[in-house]
Amino acid sequence: MIDLIERLTGTFGPAGSEGKIRALLCEEVGKLNHNYFVDTLGNLVVTVGGRSGKKILTAAHMDEIGLMVTFIDENGFLRFTNIGGVLKETLLGTRVVFENGIVGIIGREKIKEAKNFDLNKLYIDIGAKDRNEAQKMVRIGSPAVFYTPFNRLGDRIVAKTLDNRIGCAVLLEVLKRLPSSLPNEVYFVFTVQEEVGLRGARTVSYRLEPDYGLAVDVTRVGDTPEPDYKMEVSLGKGPAVKIKDSSVICHPQVIQLMIETAETNNIPYQLEVLEKGGTDAGAIHLSKEGIRSGALSIPCRYVHSPGEMVDLNDVENGVSLLLELLKKNW
Amino acid sequence: MSDNKYDLHKLLKELTEKGGASGYEESIAKIIADAFAPYIDEQRTDNLGNLIFLKKGNGTGGPKVLLCAHMDEIGLMITKIEENGFLRFTSLGGFDPRTLPGQEVVIRGREPLEGIIGIKPPHLFENDEKGKGAEMEDLFIDTGLPETTVRREIKVGTVAIIKRTLLTLLNDCITGKALDDRAGVAVLWFCARELANLKHQADIYLVATIQEEVGTRGALVSAFGVSPDIGIAVDVCHGDFPGAQEYEVSPLGKGPVITWGPNIHPQLAERLTETAKENHLPHQKDVSPGPTGTDARAIQVSLGGIPTGLLSIPLRYMHTSVELVNLEDIKVAGKLLAFFLTGLRGDFVEGLSCI
Repeated sequence: MIDLIERLTGTFGPAGSEGKIRALLCEEVGKLNHNYFVDTLGNLVVTVGGRSGKKILTAAHMDEIGLMVTFIDENGFLRFTNIGGVLKETLLGTRVVFENGIVGIIGREKIKEAKNFDLNKLYIDIGAKDRNEAQKMVRIGSPAVFYTPFNRLGDRIVAKTLDNRIGCAVLLEVLKRLPSSLPNEVYFVFTVQEEVGLRGARTVSYRLEPDYGLAVDVTRVGDTPEPDYKMEVSLGKGPAVKIKDSSVICHPQVIQLMIETAETNNIPYQLEVLEKGGTDAGAIHLSKEGIRSGALSIPCRYVHSPGEMVDLNDVENGVSLLLELLKKNW
Repeated sequence: MSDNKYDLHKLLKELTEKGGASGYEESIAKIIADAFAPYIDEQRTDNLGNLIFLKKGNGTGGPKVLLCAHMDEIGLMITKIEENGFLRFTSLGGFDPRTLPGQEVVIRGREPLEGIIGIKPPHLFENDEKGKGAEMEDLFIDTGLPETTVRREIKVGTVAIIKRTLLTLLNDCITGKALDDRAGVAVLWFCARELANLKHQADIYLVATIQEEVGTRGALVSAFGVSPDIGIAVDVCHGDFPGAQEYEVSPLGKGPVITWGPNIHPQLAERLTETAKENHLPHQKDVSPGPTGTDARAIQVSLGGIPTGLLSIPLRYMHTSVELVNLEDIKVAGKLLAFFLTGLRGDFVEGLSCI
């Protein structure tokens, strides 16, 4: 699974430009004996199980945050905007990579007061000598993502885009371990454009009309020095059962089922109230006449930075919890 | 048909003193179902918890009308249990943290538990803290219980609501928590009660919506589920108080407020106004230049677009535990809606889709 996570995090796929990551996911799904299709916006849908039970949609977004070129100046420097929730303080000195492999480094203009700098003070330097040379490598609208290595640190891994390739890895691993028959019809969906407003999840849940929705994504933690929010979720204490975030108040029935499943199978879990941030469940639960939804979260430090960190025990326990959940009658 | 179980005051007392934070509306829904039962033909609860009543029209072919008032209230949710048993929290909906210190709360743990919201006393302020308002992250709930008991009774994600008894003031005024928007629910109830003695062609769906305070979520899905020809949201708007600009508030006791603006179908606002005039009902006018902060914003853009109206009860001190309304405004609003509905024909509704 480590190897899979490394390949997933190392593959390009900012919101709206998910071609490469979707190709990798299709390749992985193709190794298994399940039906799948790609919908109009690019969501990858894998259908499993019988037609008799409830329909459950479980979603992990395949896209990642990134940058997009807005202007190329005469000296070949690239100005950019953000794709999704990029934290400007993580950008200084950070390397980024474009889809064609071109690497750039983020530089900044002179800033009088460090606390007041804005994205428009930053630029990407791809080593081009002038505009003409730069335009041979990138164009306005070219997206870029963080360019950072994958590292294993004991039980923990640090990499870019664990938000939410770790969710994709969980879904793939569950797909591999599924028993031959399931009581429910389950849609495993790798969604697009979550980072820019849960857009893929919105259309795919409209199309599939599930009875239940379950997002698999990362959540922030409160176990680092002076965290942004006072919350109880920690790395290594199990996957989190989401109670609420900015996008959804999870349905009590789904929360209860998740807790019962964790407890009966002795899977460690944590309860999550995320004050800021959303996930695909936010779009799924408001589809059509409303869909009872919840979310399973993998605790993650430094979310939306070039180096996100998760604990492999949480990932493994997350796989177990999702697997057991899908074996149950909903 | 007996309706002696509730009167308007009694209904509002029950509705405001019980808790029903966004996402946790079941106990309020029970009271509402009980109160509406004598006046409706059908009742159902949708997937997310919206409570949907149907009062059928006389005859067939009448238009389908959706009336919405949200039953959720702003509340608190526990985010962390500190080492000594103090509880950190976030808000469900828009609490002003300045209004929270000193409040009593009821925590919906395994059993309901009482607590208070504490804050650092002024004697211990650092110089730069003086004169500054509280921030949510500095506040905590104190139950007086030891940490072990707290951890047994309360989990992360447990909901707490402000504890407040409804107080009756002079001149038909009542004050308490959650009048935003239980006052609107009471308007729907009063309207249903009036309709019991009136004829109407329209099939009327009265919906007590969920999760308005976290983004008009209940209205969004219930509008899809009901798929009405027109929708009217009933909510509260800012009442007058010293220091407010005249143009941003509506006085209490002068009737419900009919909103105009891009969120509102002008012919619906016009029709509501005409109905009020014809029946000599006091009413006021307000304008909103964009999507209103009410269920109307979600209803209007549901499905292929729904002509939408908004009727509001003036309310002072919104999102505090001393929200204040005038009962007469609620009664007038209920009557206005009832008269509007009895006069509603299919041809008027058809006319709304071609301006």
